[in-house]
Amino acid sequence: MMYEFKVNQFAEEFGVHRNTIRNWINSGVLIAKEGPGRKYLMKFEDYRLLCEKFGREPYLHPENNVDGKTIATAPRSDRPPLVVSGEKSRLAQDPSWADSCLTCGTCAGLCPISGVDGLDPRKIVRMAVLGLDEQLVASDWPWKCTMCGKCEEACPVGIEFVALIRKIRGARNRSEVPGPIHRGVTMCLERGNNLGIPKDDFVFLCEDLGAELSEEDCRGFRTPIDVHGARVLVTVNSKIPYGEPEKLKWWWKIFYHAGESWTIPSEHWDGVNWGLFSGDDEAMKTVIGRIVDNMRRLNCQVLLLPECGHAYFATRLGLNKWFPEALKEFRIVTIFDLLLEYIESGRIRLDTTKHRMSISYHDSCNYGRKSLKAFGQAYFDEPRKIIRACSDNYRDMSPYGNSGYCCGAGGGTWSAPFAEERVFYGRIKARQISESGAKMVIVPCHNCRDQIFKSLNREYDLNIEVKYLWELVADSLMESGT
Amino acid sequence: MTEGKKIGSVMIVGGGVAGIQAALDLADSGFYVYLIEKTGAIGGTMVQLDKTFPTNDCSMCIIAPKLVECGRHLNIHLLTLCEVTEITGVAGDFAVTLRQSPRYVDMNKCIACGICTDVCPKKIDNDHDSGIGKRRAIYLRYPQAVPLKYQIDPAACIGLQRPGTCGFCEKVCDAGAINFADVEKIHRINVGAVILAPGFEVFDPKPSGMWGYGTNANIITSLQLERYLSTSGPTEGHLKRPLDGKPVRKMAFLQCVGSRDENLCGNGYCSSVCCMSAIKEAVLAKDHVPGLQTSIFYMDMRTHGKGFDQYLEQARSEAGVRFVRCRMGGVETDGESGDLRLRYVNENGRQIEEFFDLVVLAVGLQTPKHVLGLAHVADIKLTADNFAATSDFAPVKTSREGIFTCGAIAGPKDIPQSVVEGSAAAAAVAELLAPARNELTVLPKFPEERDISGEEVRIGIFICHCGTNIAGVVDVKVLAEYVMTLPDVVHVDRKLFSCSQDSQESIIQLIHEHRLNRIVIAACTPRTHEPLFRETLKVAGLNECLLEMANIRNHNAWVHGNNPTGATNKAKDLVRMAVAKVTFGQSSQAIAVPVFQKGLVIGGGVAGMTAALNLAQQGFEVHLVERTDTLGGNALNIKYTWGGEHVRTQVAKLIDKVIWNDRIVIHKESIVTGVAGFIGNFHSTITSKNGETKVIEHGAGIVAIGGEAAVPSEYSYGSITGVVTSVQFDKLHELKEKHVKLAKRFVFIQCVGSREEGHMYCSKVCCTHSVQSAITLKKENPDRNVYILYRDMRTYGQRESLYKEARKLGIIFINYELHGKPRVTGRGAEIEVEVWDHVLHQPLLIAAYMVILAVAIRPRQDAEKIGTLYKVPVDGHGFFHEAHGKLRPVDFSTEGMFVAGLAHYPKPVEESVAQALAASARAATILAQPEVKLDTIKAIVDDEFCDGCALCIDVCPYHAITLFEQAAVDGEAPKKLVRVNVAQCKGCGICQGTCPKRGIYVVGFTMKQVVAQLQAALAG
Repeated sequence: MMYEFKVNQFAEEFGVHRNTIRNWINSGVLIAKEGPGRKYLMKFEDYRLLCEKFGREPYLHPENNVDGKTIATAPRSDRPPLVVSGEKSRLAQDPSWADSCLTCGTCAGLCPISGVDGLDPRKIVRMAVLGLDEQLVASDWPWKCTMCGKCEEACPVGIEFVALIRKIRGARNRSEVPGPIHRGVTMCLERGNNLGIPKDDFVFLCEDLGAELSEEDCRGFRTPIDVHGARVLVTVNSKIPYGEPEKLKWWWKIFYHAGESWTIPSEHWDGVNWGLFSGDDEAMKTVIGRIVDNMRRLNCQVLLLPECGHAYFATRLGLNKWFPEALKEFRIVTIFDLLLEYIESGRIRLDTTKHRMSISYHDSCNYGRKSLKAFGQAYFDEPRKIIRACSDNYRDMSPYGNSGYCCGAGGGTWSAPFAEERVFYGRIKARQISESGAKMVIVPCHNCRDQIFKSLNREYDLNIEVKYLWELVADSLMESGT
Repeated sequence: MTEGKKIGSVMIVGGGVAGIQAALDLADSGFYVYLIEKTGAIGGTMVQLDKTFPTNDCSMCIIAPKLVECGRHLNIHLLTLCEVTEITGVAGDFAVTLRQSPRYVDMNKCIACGICTDVCPKKIDNDHDSGIGKRRAIYLRYPQAVPLKYQIDPAACIGLQRPGTCGFCEKVCDAGAINFADVEKIHRINVGAVILAPGFEVFDPKPSGMWGYGTNANIITSLQLERYLSTSGPTEGHLKRPLDGKPVRKMAFLQCVGSRDENLCGNGYCSSVCCMSAIKEAVLAKDHVPGLQTSIFYMDMRTHGKGFDQYLEQARSEAGVRFVRCRMGGVETDGESGDLRLRYVNENGRQIEEFFDLVVLAVGLQTPKHVLGLAHVADIKLTADNFAATSDFAPVKTSREGIFTCGAIAGPKDIPQSVVEGSAAAAAVAELLAPARNELTVLPKFPEERDISGEEVRIGIFICHCGTNIAGVVDVKVLAEYVMTLPDVVHVDRKLFSCSQDSQESIIQLIHEHRLNRIVIAACTPRTHEPLFRETLKVAGLNECLLEMANIRNHNAWVHGNNPTGATNKAKDLVRMAVAKVTFGQSSQAIAVPVFQKGLVIGGGVAGMTAALNLAQQGFEVHLVERTDTLGGNALNIKYTWGGEHVRTQVAKLIDKVIWNDRIVIHKESIVTGVAGFIGNFHSTITSKNGETKVIEHGAGIVAIGGEAAVPSEYSYGSITGVVTSVQFDKLHELKEKHVKLAKRFVFIQCVGSREEGHMYCSKVCCTHSVQSAITLKKENPDRNVYILYRDMRTYGQRESLYKEARKLGIIFINYELHGKPRVTGRGAEIEVEVWDHVLHQPLLIAAYMVILAVAIRPRQDAEKIGTLYKVPVDGHGFFHEAHGKLRPVDFSTEGMFVAGLAHYPKPVEESVAQALAASARAATILAQPEVKLDTIKAIVDDEFCDGCALCIDVCPYHAITLFEQAAVDGEAPKKLVRVNVAQCKGCGICQGTCPKRGIYVVGFTMKQVVAQLQAALAG
C-alpha cells in the first residue's frame, strides 16, 4: 500500500520544516518518489516506521489515499511479556538515579526527543529501575539525548538523568561509541588535542595570525605563547584553529584593547573534553590534569575556558572533583566573567550602533541549567548584560534561562551520526528563534553555534545571523582613540 | 490529667471553618471562647471558594449561618486583626498575649454603609479575590463578613501613609467611625486551653518560573479560578480569558503544583485536596461555559474521601472531563496569541503538543511563615513538612499540653476533615477543662415574646439578592414592587445577602419600626437557613413560627437561569404563596424536655472507645456496647499506624483507660435490639448473648460499629495458597511463617474490591498499608524484590514520605488500569503475575512467591439494622450517611445521634480517633444542657373534631400517637380521643393527611394555611 503526501503537510505533522523533509527525501532517509501534483509517494509501511522512529501517531488524511480500515486491522506487534529478573541495575548508582522515580511523565513531556526510537527519559529510567542494563547500553537513544538537563529541571524528585545517561554511554564498548566521539578522546589523549593538530603547526598558526592582527588594527600585537607569569591562561576549542582560525583573532583583539596580560600554552591548549560525552572519566581527568599542569608551569592566576559550554562545564566539574587543591591556586573564569569585568571596569568600550537588528540569546545548557545545578551558579544575566552593552535591540526567547531549550546538538550529538534526530530535536529551538523575531542570535558555545548556524538556519529557513558572544563584543569595540 | 487550676475559657487562634466549628461546639457546651482572627473578618479560605465538593453546595451559603452564629453567640468573643505574641502558663491556666493591629475604624460606630469605600481613591489588588480583582484601601473583606465592619489597609491608605492628605472616608462617614489615630493594642487573656487553627496558604507558583505563572494572565491558580467562578467574584461568575477577554473553549488543570515536589519547592507531601477540587472546578466550569473542554493532567488521582470516587466517575462519564495521566513540567505561551502550549506524553507513550485557552495550576497547601512563627510562640513541635506534630491516637493534641490543633496546621486536609478536627479539638479541650464547665458562660436571653393575638396582620417581606445568585436572574425590583401590592404587606425590603449579620440587625430593627408580625424571607432553602432567621425573629421579640421562607434561589434562579422573565414570574408566585401561608401563621412554643445526661456508644473499637472515654472524662456517664467479647475492634489487626506508632500498645492503653473509668459501663457480647425516644431522651434496649435485655436511657448516641475486610473473589484467591489478603499476610509475616520468611519476590495488588462497579469507593488505608508492609519486607532483606501494582497511589498528605521511602528502597510500583487488571496464575511453587507496565508499554511477567491482595473495607452487615432502629440512613454502599458531607460530618440528620469510624467510611486510625472525638464533642453539646428544646413543628389534636377513630395511630411512623378516653364531662358520654407525644412527633404530617375529620394538624401546616397557599398558587 502506498502513502501519498505533500511536503508541507508532512512537515507540520512532524513539527519540522519542509526543508528538513526535502532533505530527508534527497538523502534517502525518507524513501519517497515524487508523484503528480507536488505530491510524494512512499510505502505505507515506511511511513509507519518513520512515525515509530519519531514517536508519532500515524495520521491519516483523505488525501493520503490510504484505507483507514486496513490500517486499523493491521496486526499490532504484540510484544511478548518482559520477564522481570529482579536484578538490580549496575548502571544506576544511587536511588536518585532511577529508583526514586514517580513515573509522573514530566520528563517525557518536556524532552524534545521523547518518542524517538520509542523511548523517552522516563522509559530510560524505568529500564534502569527494572534492571534492563544490556538493553540500555545497546540502545542508541542515550547517544541521541543531548544531556541538556531539561528533564532534571522539572523532575519533582530530582532524578539524575544526565548522570544516568552518561553512565550508560560509558558502559558501552569503546569500539561501539557512535561517531568520532571516542576517536576525539583518544586523539586528545595521544596528541594533546581533539583534532590532532601538531604543536609546531599550532604555534606557527598563532604567530602568523598574531602578525596579521598587528597589521590590521592592533598595532604591536604578538601572540603570547607560553608566557610565564601571565595573568590569564587561555584555552582554545580545537575546532577554531582547525576550521575557522580567523575567529581566534576576535578574542585576541579584545585582549589587546583591554590590555590584558595573557598567554596560550603551546601544548595541551585544547579546552574541549569529550570524555564528558563518552562517559569516560579517566580521559576527562587526564585532560583536565594537563590544564592544571599548564597553569602551574606558567604560573598563571586565572584559567579562561573557551566560549564553549561543555568545555567550561567539564573542566570546572573535573577540577571540583579531582583537583580541588588546584582551585586554591588559581581561579577558573568564563568568557562572561572576563568580558563583564572589562566592560564594567571600562577597560573596553562598546558601540551599540554597530548592531541595530534585533538580537536574541541562546542559553547554552552547560553554562546555564547544568551549571546552576552542579555549581549553584549559572550564567543567565551576564551574557544578557554583555549583549545589552552592544545592542539596544535585545529580546529574549520564550522560555529562556533555566527553562530554555537545548539547540539539539549538545552532549556530543553534533558529532554523532544521528543527523535526522538532531534536526528533529532542534525544531523547538528553531520555533523559539522564529517566534522571537530576532535577526541575530548570539550563541556562546561551539556546538550550539554550529547547530543553529549550520543546521537549523538552513533546515528551518530562519534567515538569521549567528555570532559568538566574543565575536559580537569584538565587532562592537570602539576603536581606541575614537 | 493535670490537677490544679482550670479556667473555663478557651482561645481559638484562627477563624476559618475549623476554628469556627471548635468555637461553636465549645461555646454550646459550657465554655467561654475567645476567637482570634488575623484578618479583619472570620471565614478563612472557605469564604473564597465558589462551590464545594462533593455536594456542589455554594461554599459561602453553607458557612454563612455559622459565621453569623459565631458573630452573635453570647459565649464567643471575636477578636480580629490579632496575632499571638506569647503563651505562658500551663494546661488549664494559660496567659496569652495578643497584639491587635489598629483597624482605624471604630467597630462600635461603623454601620457598614459602605460610603467610605465608594469615595476611597486608592485601589489595590484584592487578596480575597486572590489578587485578580481590586479593592479600596478602606474595605470589607467580603460582603457577608463577620464582624461586618470596615477596616483600613494601612499599607495602601493614602491618609495613613501621608498624614494630612486624602481623608475622604473620614469626611463622608456620618457615623464618625474613621479613626486615623487608632493604635496597636496589647491584650492579655487568661484561658484554660488554646486551639491553634490558623490554616494554610496556597503555594505561590511564580518564583520557580516553571509554569509561566505571572508571565501570561491566562495561567491562573485554582484559588483564582474559584473567584472567577464565584458569582460574588470579580467577574460575577463569568469565565473569560483574563489576558484578552476571549472566550475559554479549552482549559487544562495541572495537578501537584507545589505538592509532591522536592525539586522546585521542597513540599514533598501531597496536599490531599487538589485532585478533588480540580475535578469539581472542571465540572462546574463546564456549567459556566457551554461546550467547554476540560482536561486534568495528573499523576495519581487522589479521590480517597467519601463520595469522591463516584464524583470522579461522574465527572469522567457524565460531565466529560478528560483525565490525562501525565504531570506537566511547563507551560509555554504560543507566539502572540496568548494560547498556552502544553507538551505531554499520552497513555501510549506518544508525545503530544496541545493548545489551551486557560491553564489552571492546582496549587498545593503549605504552612505560611506567620504560622511557623505562631508554632514557635506556642512552643509546639512540627513535622519535617512543617505541620504541627501530633500522635495518630491524639490527632488534635500538640506536643505542649493544653495546646491543641485543628485544620490544615496539622497537615493538608479538606473541609469535612477540618470540621471533624474542629469538633475533635473541642472534645479534647472539654476533657481538659471539664471541672470548669459553665463557670464563665452566660445563658442566652431573648426578649419577652410579643403577644400578637390581638394584632392585625402586618407582613414584612425581605427579598434576598444572594449577591447575583438571585438578582442576576430574577428582576428583584419588579418583584419587590409586586409583592408590596399583596394583602397585609406593610413593608418590603431588599438585601444583598439577607443572611449577613448586618441584615439580621436590620430585619430586627424593621420588625420593631413597622410593628411587623409576620415575616417572609424570599431567599434560599429553609434547610440551611431557617434556623438563622427563626433566631432573628426571637431576638426581635416575635414567635419563631411567624416566619415563612420562599426559596426563590434553588427552586428558581438556579434552575431557570436562562429564562429571567419566567423566573421573575415564578418568584412572584412563590412569594405570594408564602405570604398567603404566613398570614394564617400562629405563635407556637417549642417544648423543652429534660436531657438524660448520659451517652451511649455502640461499638468497642478504637473509635467507640475513644468517644466513650472522652465523654466520660468530660464528666458524662457512658454505656459502651460491644458485639464481641473483646474491645479493640479492627485495630487489633494493625501493627503500626502510618506515622509508625505501635497500634496494639496504644490500643491496650486505651482499653485500660476505658475499663478503669468509673463512668463507663461496658456491655460486652451485646447488641442494640430496640430503640425508643428522641434527642435527649433515648431508651435503647440492648440484648446480650444469653438473651438478657436491658434498657439504657441516654441523651445522645454514637454509632461506631466499624467495618470489615472484604473477601476477594479474584486473582486465584483461595485456589493458590500463596495468594493471601493483606490481613492474612500481616499475621503470617508477624508469625515469621516460613513461606514469607523464605520468599524472594512479593507482589502486592491494590484496589481488590475497591473502586469498581458496585463498590465505587476508595478504601483509603490500603495504599499506605501495602507501602508500609513492602518497606518492612525490603528492610528485613534488601535482596527481596517487592512490586506494588496499583491504580492510583493514594499515600495522601504527609504519607507521601512513605511512598518516597519505598521507591528509594527499590520497591517497584506498576500502575495498572481497571480494564487491564493483573493476571495471576499458578505455576508450581511460583505464582506468575502478568501486568502491563505503564511506562514501557509492554507486559511484564513477575514470578512471585507471594501475592498480597489489598482488600477493600466493607461496612458491617448489621449497619442497616442499626440504621433502621435509630432512623439513621446508610448510603448506597452500606456506610452510614452523615447529615451533611461538608459541614456536619459526624452528625446524623436524626438529632442526638452521631457517627464515627469505619462505620462512616474507610479511614485510618487518626481520622477515626478525630471523628470519634468530634462525635463526642457534638454529643456533649446536648448532654451539657439540662433540657433540649424540640422543634416547634408538631402535630396538635383538635379535640373538637377528633372522634378517636385511631386511623392516625396506624400510620404514624414514629409511634407518637396514642388513644385515650376522656372522662365524661357535664353529662356527655365519655369520648375517645388521640394524644400526641410531642417529643416523638417529627411533624411529618401523615396523620393530618390521614384524618378524615380534621381532628389533627401540624403547626405551621394547618389546613387553612395549606389551602391559602394553594389558592395563592392558582391565583397567578
